Amino acid sequence: MIGPNGAGKTTLVRVLATLLRPDDGSLVLAGAPCPSQARRARAYIGYLGHDPLVYPDLTARENLELFASMYGLGDASARIDALLDRVGLLARSLEPVRGYSRGMAQRLGIARMLLHSPPVLLLDEPYSGLDVEGARVLDEELVPAAGHTIVAVTHEVDRAHALAERVVVMRSGKVVDDLRTAEVSLAELERRYAELVGAVAPT
Amino acid sequence: MATSQTPPRLEIAVAEPELAAVPRVGWRGPLAALVRKDVQLELRTKQTAIGMVLFALVAMVIFQFAIGSRTDDATPFAAGIIWATVALTAVLAVSRAWAAEREGRTIDGLLAAPVGRGVLLTAKAVSIFLYLLALEIVVVPLAVLFFVESAAATDLAIVFGLCLLANLALAIVGSLVASLAAFTRGRELLVPALFLPAIVPVLIAAAGGTFSVLGGTDDMAELRGYSLLLAGCAVVFGLVAYATYEFVFDD
Amino acid sequence: MTNARGTRLLAVTGTATALLLAVSVFGIFLVAPEDADQGIIQRIFYFHVAIALTSFIAFLVAAIYGIVYLRTRKPEYDRIGVASVGLGLFFSILVLITGSIWAKASWGTWWVWEDPRLATFVIVLLLYGAYFLLRSSADGERQARYSAIFAIAAFASVPLSFYSVRVAQSFVHPVVFTPSGANMPSTMLVWFVVAQVAMLGLFWTLLQMELVQRRTDAALKRLKAQLEVQ
Repeated sequence: MIGPNGAGKTTLVRVLATLLRPDDGSLVLAGAPCPSQARRARAYIGYLGHDPLVYPDLTARENLELFASMYGLGDASARIDALLDRVGLLARSLEPVRGYSRGMAQRLGIARMLLHSPPVLLLDEPYSGLDVEGARVLDEELVPAAGHTIVAVTHEVDRAHALAERVVVMRSGKVVDDLRTAEVSLAELERRYAELVGAVAPT
Repeated sequence: MATSQTPPRLEIAVAEPELAAVPRVGWRGPLAALVRKDVQLELRTKQTAIGMVLFALVAMVIFQFAIGSRTDDATPFAAGIIWATVALTAVLAVSRAWAAEREGRTIDGLLAAPVGRGVLLTAKAVSIFLYLLALEIVVVPLAVLFFVESAAATDLAIVFGLCLLANLALAIVGSLVASLAAFTRGRELLVPALFLPAIVPVLIAAAGGTFSVLGGTDDMAELRGYSLLLAGCAVVFGLVAYATYEFVFDD
Repeated sequence: MTNARGTRLLAVTGTATALLLAVSVFGIFLVAPEDADQGIIQRIFYFHVAIALTSFIAFLVAAIYGIVYLRTRKPEYDRIGVASVGLGLFFSILVLITGSIWAKASWGTWWVWEDPRLATFVIVLLLYGAYFLLRSSADGERQARYSAIFAIAAFASVPLSFYSVRVAQSFVHPVVFTPSGANMPSTMLVWFVVAQVAMLGLFWTLLQMELVQRRTDAALKRLKAQLEVQ
């Protein structure tokens, strides 16, 4: 999903993550109608936004242990170790997250998101706040081989065009364009986006 | 709403093998983990507990100079002072209950998990219960020291029993109020305004029961009556929690 | 209810209520049997109890519609809830006023904590005053949802408050607090019932009037929103 600020992209991702109840329309996630059966659907979703959604006063390990319980993963210490290693935080996993840099905290957010191996990833500008290491890990998840269904909000039109099968352009709370990237060139997409961003009067 | 034809519909499907692979989440594991998280956070930062104890001490001193200093024997007032102090200090615990989740919107991490919203509030009620218990462990002996002529060890044990009973209702209401106010503006005013009038019956019963033990009368009939009342409060508010907890974070 | 039939119904119940009120005032102050040591002003106790029960029912209505709102999420139920609470508060203030007058007539002071209604309704006033504070802290769907939740919780605490005050008082003054004790002659009871029905009628009428007001407000808002979109 791309679009200027205020287009409603974040709101839509939050609705998909069942953090918001829509006023109208219906959502079915992994066969579970939301919001009536949202709880079931949440087991299949990994969500990452601007914030890593981890507790600063807990260590990385304590954070992941909490979320392992929240997702019903039983004894997940092996998985936690593997993930911490993958995001490069294993060495500092026993320090409170408050001492982390923003990039490190966001990497922990990625680990939190992937902890329960969700088939669906919901990402809101995931590369913002990510350092090089974190971007590398995220890149690995965003390829088809990783097997996720991904809905992502981004400002980076080139990345969107490179990674997505489908691009939805939003403005002022409405979907303005719904394109298959196979059918649209990057230049064309960039042009449309620039038009849209330019066309919106500054608030 | 402008003219819309059919309401929008979005479906995200997940393939069969992955559907089965995800475990069903109960409530016991998450509940324990959430309470553990709150305890870990408090032990590490100690902010809330220390603030509560300090506030309670100041409150008791104020009560002494406002009420107790006009009499030689403050024993009849001890029970009231204890529970007035607990009630006012509880407001602090309730106000700060979701403080860790406000910072950096960490609440979203909890809300995105496949755990019933009611479990989140129940875990918070358990945390508040523990905070109150920790407070009472400090306040009750001190109040007895400051205000009561003499008290047997069994008296103290009975008072702590009353504390456990009262804390049930206080924690259940406290969690509800905390969650209603956690992310709204004017939280500092809202919490005492909502919490204190609602727990007045608990206050009356707890103070009454404590008085019947510490006030020098040792009336078992009174104690029984007040204990039943406390249990009744716990049951009634428990029912309210059952009816309302899952709807608070239901945005 | 912005139609003719609804307005007619309101006119009928309104008139009936007004009549009942007139009858009850007349009856209570002039016809009801004398009780040995009661003066005429003390008969305000009949209204005191009737208004207290009506207030209680208003909050019950709010709690019930709170539950219904949480199930259905229809704004109409939120409107009924907030209107009921508002009226409940109005009647609560009347409880305190009538109770105070009665206390002065019976006991010589303008306030007694021993009357469980007076004590309870002070708590009620604070509690449901906070309801409006809660409402002002949120808008839209959240406001309605939070109001529903608090209406349920607050209502649950009202009988608890009443009983805890009663129990506490029973240990201090083992005296039943009614105008003439446990045995009430049926001639007196009749007037209690008349006053009660009159008060309930008053509540019903005022509720309907307020609901009409709120529904029209909401309809107006919707119209405005639609016009603004175009």
